[in-house]
Amino acid sequence: MFRILIIHTALLVALTPGQLPAQEPEDPSFTAEDIEFFESKIRPLLSKHCYECHSGKSDPIQGALRLDTRTALTKGGDSGTAFNADDPKASLIISAVKYQSFEMPPKYKLSGTDIALLEDWVTRGAPWPTETADSDNPTGEDINWDSLKTKHWAWAPIARPALPDDAFPEWTMSPIDLFVGHELKANALSPSELATRRTLIRRVALDLTGLLPSPEQVEEFLSDKRPDAYEHLLDRLLASPHYGETWGRHWLDVARFSEGIGGFNDNQHLPHAWHYRDWVIDAWNRDLAYDKFVELQIAGDTTGDYNNAIATGFFALGPSYRSDGGDPDSKAAAQIETLDDRVDTFSRAFMALTVSCARCHDHKFDPIPTMDYYSIAGIFQNSPTHVTPIAPAEQVKIRNDAKAQVDNLNKQIGALDKKIKDAKDNATDEDKQTLETLKSERDQAQANMPPDYPNAHVLREGGNGNMHVALRGDLRKQGDIAPRRFLRLVAGAEPVEFTDGSGRKELAKAVTDRNNPLTSRVIVNRIWMHHFGRALVTSPSNFGTLGQEPSHPELLDWLASELMDNDWSIKTLHKTIMMSSTYRQQSRFREAEFAIDGDNKYLWRMSPRRMTIESWRDALLQATGELDWRLHGTSHRDIANARQRTIYAASSRSGEAFPSDTFLRLFDFPVMRATIAQRPSSTVPQQFLFLMNSGFMIQRANHFVDHLHRHSTENSERIEQAYRVLYARQPTEEEINLGVSFLEASAGSDDVKINRWVQYAQVLLSSNELMFVR
Amino acid sequence: MQPIRDFKPEQFGLSRRQMLQNMGAGFGSVALADMLAPSVNAATSPLMPRAPHFAPKAKRIIQLFMPGGPSQVDTFDHKPLIAENAGQRPDLVNRKSLRNTKNGLMPSPFGFKQYGKDGMWISDLFQKTASHVDDLCFIHSMHTDIPEHAGAILMMNLGHLQPIRPSMGSWLVYGLGSDNQNLPGFVSMSPRAQARGKMANYGNAFLPGAYSGCYVNIQQMHPDRIMADLKNNYLPRLAQREQADLLTQLNRIDLARQESDSQLESSIEAMEMAFRMQFAVPEAFDVSTETQNTLALYGDTEYAKGCLLARRLVERGVRMVQLSLSIDGYDIAWDTGHGDIAGGHKRLADACDQGISALLTDLKQRGMFEDTLVIWGGEFGRAPTSEGQKGRDHDHYGFTVWMAGGGVKPGFRYGATDEFGLTAVENRVHVHDYHATLLHLMGLDHERLTYRYSGRDFRLTDVHGDVVHDVIA
Repeated sequence: MFRILIIHTALLVALTPGQLPAQEPEDPSFTAEDIEFFESKIRPLLSKHCYECHSGKSDPIQGALRLDTRTALTKGGDSGTAFNADDPKASLIISAVKYQSFEMPPKYKLSGTDIALLEDWVTRGAPWPTETADSDNPTGEDINWDSLKTKHWAWAPIARPALPDDAFPEWTMSPIDLFVGHELKANALSPSELATRRTLIRRVALDLTGLLPSPEQVEEFLSDKRPDAYEHLLDRLLASPHYGETWGRHWLDVARFSEGIGGFNDNQHLPHAWHYRDWVIDAWNRDLAYDKFVELQIAGDTTGDYNNAIATGFFALGPSYRSDGGDPDSKAAAQIETLDDRVDTFSRAFMALTVSCARCHDHKFDPIPTMDYYSIAGIFQNSPTHVTPIAPAEQVKIRNDAKAQVDNLNKQIGALDKKIKDAKDNATDEDKQTLETLKSERDQAQANMPPDYPNAHVLREGGNGNMHVALRGDLRKQGDIAPRRFLRLVAGAEPVEFTDGSGRKELAKAVTDRNNPLTSRVIVNRIWMHHFGRALVTSPSNFGTLGQEPSHPELLDWLASELMDNDWSIKTLHKTIMMSSTYRQQSRFREAEFAIDGDNKYLWRMSPRRMTIESWRDALLQATGELDWRLHGTSHRDIANARQRTIYAASSRSGEAFPSDTFLRLFDFPVMRATIAQRPSSTVPQQFLFLMNSGFMIQRANHFVDHLHRHSTENSERIEQAYRVLYARQPTEEEINLGVSFLEASAGSDDVKINRWVQYAQVLLSSNELMFVR
Repeated sequence: MQPIRDFKPEQFGLSRRQMLQNMGAGFGSVALADMLAPSVNAATSPLMPRAPHFAPKAKRIIQLFMPGGPSQVDTFDHKPLIAENAGQRPDLVNRKSLRNTKNGLMPSPFGFKQYGKDGMWISDLFQKTASHVDDLCFIHSMHTDIPEHAGAILMMNLGHLQPIRPSMGSWLVYGLGSDNQNLPGFVSMSPRAQARGKMANYGNAFLPGAYSGCYVNIQQMHPDRIMADLKNNYLPRLAQREQADLLTQLNRIDLARQESDSQLESSIEAMEMAFRMQFAVPEAFDVSTETQNTLALYGDTEYAKGCLLARRLVERGVRMVQLSLSIDGYDIAWDTGHGDIAGGHKRLADACDQGISALLTDLKQRGMFEDTLVIWGGEFGRAPTSEGQKGRDHDHYGFTVWMAGGGVKPGFRYGATDEFGLTAVENRVHVHDYHATLLHLMGLDHERLTYRYSGRDFRLTDVHGDVVHDVIA
């Protein structure tokens, strides 16, 4: 049975995932309480202990008895009715679990509590909610697919909304401001003034490139008299190669990117993972159209271009569970867990659908029957991971041939060497001569061998079969065939079946089809989230009925329309957003507004935000002059002792394999086991132990002092420079005085191992002002 | 959807905390500290104590974790019928099993004696622990999902076969906070090797980072190095204080410029807490102030030292301590039972029996036994049939755990395996039920302790678990 339930948040509080709200009883004598009792206590009990042998999915159905509908229970099996309405306690189901007639379940006796629950239930008249033909409906037959569009905002088609009236004409600069202004006014709020140029350039530079603006860049912007100086600034930053390093990282979170090593039965290292990371950086830098970006990550290997195949690392770098026991249960579990990663990442990353819920049972809240889960899983079942060369075929062949030649010579050398040794004194000069010749040939071949070509972890085509529905998520219990095709939620009642190989090419096109209302909404929401710290839909990876509703639904659709009408250009979208007054507001606290909208849902100011660990470490190295600005390359296992940007840190799926993992996790870098919707921002004392005591911070402070001392011999001038570099502003007199008096105080006792300047520099580098973006 | 600002939790009979726990993903993505701060100024620490759902029986948990699977029939689940049917393979033990249990029944190589008021049979492996039998509450009918260590260990510590959920200790600190703001709320310890699964067994998964357990290796323990960067190697305390004061001063100027910002306030507060932790943590882990009597009571094994540290930590307000056994650097110590039960189990029991006994005695002497819950057990048990000549293989169909102290029936035995000890048959208790019971004892309803992540409310017990009320005093 399937129902769309739109539930108020407050109601959800009282519910748990296992408890559905009471449904309408079929028989008026069943109270809502009875049904609730059945759903919370009895159905799980029957499912757990009885359905292996007594449900419509059991094969065979033992004793022809089914216990998955009330009708079947009453009708009974070979031994007659299981439920005796006249004398409930004498029902066969009760005597069987008491081991008085049959002994059920046969392997063990139910606990006293469970038996008492069943007795209670039959005494109440075996309450059961209204039944459709079958209580478990993995095929989704009874869903009216066509009417879904009207049931939930996210399923509805996208139409470009009309622009609202201008609520704040003095303030409005873009269509975005009309939507935002409208909501502000409706909630008795007003927007904030625009931020100063100093604040703006720091915000924009960190937002787009994850790096601080240099003091020179700040001065240049402040003195730029052109009316479109701000637009020029955006254009310059959007063209920076460091843009891709920052926005590519946001995508790597979505892709749950790691170099493997998940522990247990998923412990392989994926040494070529970094090629996918570099592909993502480049894709964002060249503003690859988002629809193309998605399609390549789903099916890039089918284009025939090895550069596109790298994109499928999106899936191939996920966990590939093995079984260490080798027993059938463990093997099946490993296989289905691997597929679940693919289905989950696919659906949540691109479309914010929690399809994974439908692995064992129909999705309780969204129209995703179990069959649709296996329609998608089947596609990935046909798409195994492998390691492939990413170089022109000729280059690969030349290298492989050369390698084969060396191997062959080595083999000959080995054989001849053995012959000579076996022959001892009888070894012929001819053989000895040949050996020397072979060796020199080998050495020459070795020397001439072209360098090895790079490899990447990718998907490949591996078949075109369909999966069976795995009953209750167990691959060894097969249900109906699930044809490979798109989700009916999007494609309607009868989606076209996929026939081209695994089906990934067709799947990719289905995801980016303009009529799919999810893909564009999901990405504009993610982009908005990174600009403002809060998404329009605050459940960015769940647009289902249990997700949140958009704060500005028309704005969301307007942005999605803009994206598609601009050929899915993300850079154009950034500019559209950043040109608005909404984005350019200052972040100052305002008491009246805060009292009404403390979460800043309606955007009455820019929300101040803490930097990510990446931005913060990069800013430190940049400020001290240590940053290695080079893009790309293999990853650093110990990023704290490297100089490249933080995106080049190695991270493992377990979050504990590399020293880099420990460093990153200190400041909210998530463990990359599943797609990350939005990072948390937590403030914990361990972070400050690091700031106060780590060798890392002392090293940075030393370098910063060197930089400042090169700049000037005057303490006050050094302090001014420090503020310009770190905070993009001049220090106040009070701040200069605090600094100078700290620096000029006595050095203290002999245990003091760092001088006053280093101590002071450490304070400035540890400050909130550096770590926050306003 | 109603805007959040109009939502009055009191109207629904909910505390602010419950409301926050159950709110949508907008909140789920922000640390609790940041959520509470705007209106609850004192509560800038995510570890602030929080009220339970109902009156708790216990305030803290010490988990004596026995990774690798200690054998129930060689420890606390005495089955004389095994010896009477030695070498036989009766139907009851002839279960379809994934594991190597094709041989016949193998009698325990250990002697059993009777202990306590009811004369309970306990093997000679745990003679010192056995002296506390009248305080222990046994569950003999535990069972779990699979007979593989990795998955079953995770099931025991986080209620799921894959390492993708928060550990039980993280859930507890998330739900209850901690009674000491200068120490981590959840500490995991072991001598030598961490239990298989490492961080997953004490990790926070998707819960905010403040709820992660903090791991300490007892064997190589140095009070200054218990946590990363705990000690300042550059400045003496006074100079460090002066430096910290300057930072706070500059941060306050910055805060004044913004007028109000809860994130900045929590940041200032967290720095101060870090400053105090530098001194509070080494103090808690320094056993040199313990009396000779106490030190002698525990003895000198590594595990016993862990037991003593566990007492010191819970005494100072830490919510949960997880203490895993390991010898020889093996991450599933009790798995030595495969080849040789007699030798392997003997060494392991010797490594922990006195420490466990001392912990129970010590807690009693200090009046902490009544509200401290001590739990003992592994991820599964071992089969009564033999593997090879002298070993036993994994048994997830039935095994024994025990609890003591806070709120459990003393000298009580619940559930039973069949007459040979293989399968739990009476009052079966799944690990989910066990978790539900432990949370209940701590004053938490396992169905209400939820965290919204990725569009769904997660629980320690997932969609399972029934509280075993029969074991609660």
